[in-house]
Amino acid sequence: MTRFFLALTVGVLTALPLTADTGKAVTEHILPRYADFAKQARALADVASKDCAVTEMLPAYTAAYDAWIAVSHIQFGPVESRGSAPALSYWPDPKNRTGKAIARLMAEDTSALTDPEEFKEVSIAAQGFPALERLLTEDHPDQGAACDLRRAIATFIGQTAGDLNGDWQSGYGAGFAQAEVPSYQTPEETRRALYTALSTSLAYLHDQRLGRPLGSFDKPYPTRAEARRSGRSLRHILLNLGALQDLTQVAFADVTTPALSSSFQEAIARAEALGDPSLAGVADPAKRFKIEVLQRAVRDVQELVAKQIAGALGIAAGFNALDGD
Amino acid sequence: MMATRRAFLQTTLAAAAALPVTGWADVGAPTHLSAARTVQGEYALVGLRADGSQAFVLPLPSRGHAAAAHPTEPTAVAFARRPGTYAMVIDCASGQVAQQLAAPDGHHFYGHGTYSQNGRVLFTTENHIVSGQGRIGVWDAAAGYTRLGDFSSGGIGPHEMLRQPGADVLVIANGGIRTDPTHGRAKLNLESMRPNLTHMRPDGAILHVAELPADAHQNSIRHIAAFDDGRIAIAFQWQGDPFGAPSIAGVYLPDQGIRLLNMSEAMLRGLDGYAGSVAVLDQRHIAVTFPRGGVMHMFDTKTDSVLTLPQADICGVAPARGGGMATDGLGHVHAMTAGGVRLLARHDLAFDNHLIRIGGA
Repeated sequence: MTRFFLALTVGVLTALPLTADTGKAVTEHILPRYADFAKQARALADVASKDCAVTEMLPAYTAAYDAWIAVSHIQFGPVESRGSAPALSYWPDPKNRTGKAIARLMAEDTSALTDPEEFKEVSIAAQGFPALERLLTEDHPDQGAACDLRRAIATFIGQTAGDLNGDWQSGYGAGFAQAEVPSYQTPEETRRALYTALSTSLAYLHDQRLGRPLGSFDKPYPTRAEARRSGRSLRHILLNLGALQDLTQVAFADVTTPALSSSFQEAIARAEALGDPSLAGVADPAKRFKIEVLQRAVRDVQELVAKQIAGALGIAAGFNALDGD
Repeated sequence: MMATRRAFLQTTLAAAAALPVTGWADVGAPTHLSAARTVQGEYALVGLRADGSQAFVLPLPSRGHAAAAHPTEPTAVAFARRPGTYAMVIDCASGQVAQQLAAPDGHHFYGHGTYSQNGRVLFTTENHIVSGQGRIGVWDAAAGYTRLGDFSSGGIGPHEMLRQPGADVLVIANGGIRTDPTHGRAKLNLESMRPNLTHMRPDGAILHVAELPADAHQNSIRHIAAFDDGRIAIAFQWQGDPFGAPSIAGVYLPDQGIRLLNMSEAMLRGLDGYAGSVAVLDQRHIAVTFPRGGVMHMFDTKTDSVLTLPQADICGVAPARGGGMATDGLGHVHAMTAGGVRLLARHDLAFDNHLIRIGGA
């Protein structure tokens, strides 16, 4: 009898009609962010095509990178099927593949620098924002090749963003909202995809964006902070937190508790108060403490998201993904 | 200690026998087996038919991992997840538990095993906890699964083992990672680990040991599947920085040793250096699942081309008539054919790591 009741309860939980929120997530969160990314990336490509000088490109680079980070947590759909995310932001890069790929391209593979089709085939470590950042912040002996490569990357980013936005606007968005796309064919599956985007991105923020530079107290790694060369490490954390807060409010409004909302506010306030753009403070005991507190605040968000959203929606954590066997 | 274990066994067997499980003969022959978790949070061994439907659901006392199918008789062994100490021999004709195996004192199972060619002997991968040495347990299947003894696995942390098709040669994936149940599932030797693929005779005599180059010593050899010609497909679990992982799929070639399959940087990102399971679909294609990346790749070893299925929590994979079958933690059963992948069935179950094909089905 208890068993039967339990089965009924669980069945009801997993069958809640949640398509409305998915639709809202698409129209109010995903589509505008991809549209903005496409617009800023287009502007970056346009600037580079006219003048690839560092000073000319920097503002457009900043705006386009911002727009990408603000949507990069959406890891399903066109970005997944096209494999675009690792190319746009190849990081972390413990083997310095970006540095090596840039050196190789400038020394050997110069025809790819001026042929956008050929450039699509080069190492993904040299195609996106991390490579562009190197070419905007480091001196390269061959200035002509560096200019060509900046232009090639800007063109690639512009085209990729346009493709992704086109896919979402021209049918994938509507299809996803209706749970009528190949990998997501029920409201539970689209809901789960949104939840996974949220939880995966929070884990990435905690483990990679914060965890990599923090290392341990005895062994901090300030040079492992994301986009530190252009002083964007903290900016990415703030953009990321803001995007995830918005996704939570739009997609999961019906299960978002005040505690979860205030945990986001707490983490954002901690990040805003840091004043350490490249997270260099990880190596300074006095400043490090504040970054650890921020990481702890992100952990609080993670725990509330797992408990409240996954719990309320009957989404089980990955049975096999978490197994480790 | 003995009394406790005996009591546990009796309880388990009694519980299993009292449940109304329909015999396989009555419900149509299943082609595959998988451990699973039910909606109620209980653990089970599930028999699946070729069309993805359930042939039976048999309760397990704790979380299962993999199973081994008897080569000739309708019998299968379900293993507990490491560091489990039970394995259940299941009579496939009746759907009943025929025997319960308990790991000897001081040992635990790693969750995999295989039968000898004639099915008279069962081999299990085990940890000798005090020494941390990998052992292969030997059980007399023909005499009520009495323990015959055990011998070295040829390394540390033996995980999946199999028998080469048509031969009494055991192939063992020594993952290289030392664990001790008193430290939970913590990995104790990541800096010095040296995984290997060991070929041995059924008496434990080592025929060949294949290792990885020194710079890849953290690529744990975890799951394997055999081709008919001596090649062995390998699914790895990289223990270094996941963003610096090399390819985590490979093939052992008898004359060349272990070769990693070509996996691009784009493919590797997001997988967390973790492959879950591997199957040889035919003499040309292998399927490898990556549950943390939520993706399965099917590699064509002839052309190096890859077919990809994004699917959350996908892990179990096995050959099947016409291609292959795969399962995931959301209860889906997928069929792979030359034409691609399609959904066969959806169950209120979370399928566990491994899908096992029942001999010749």
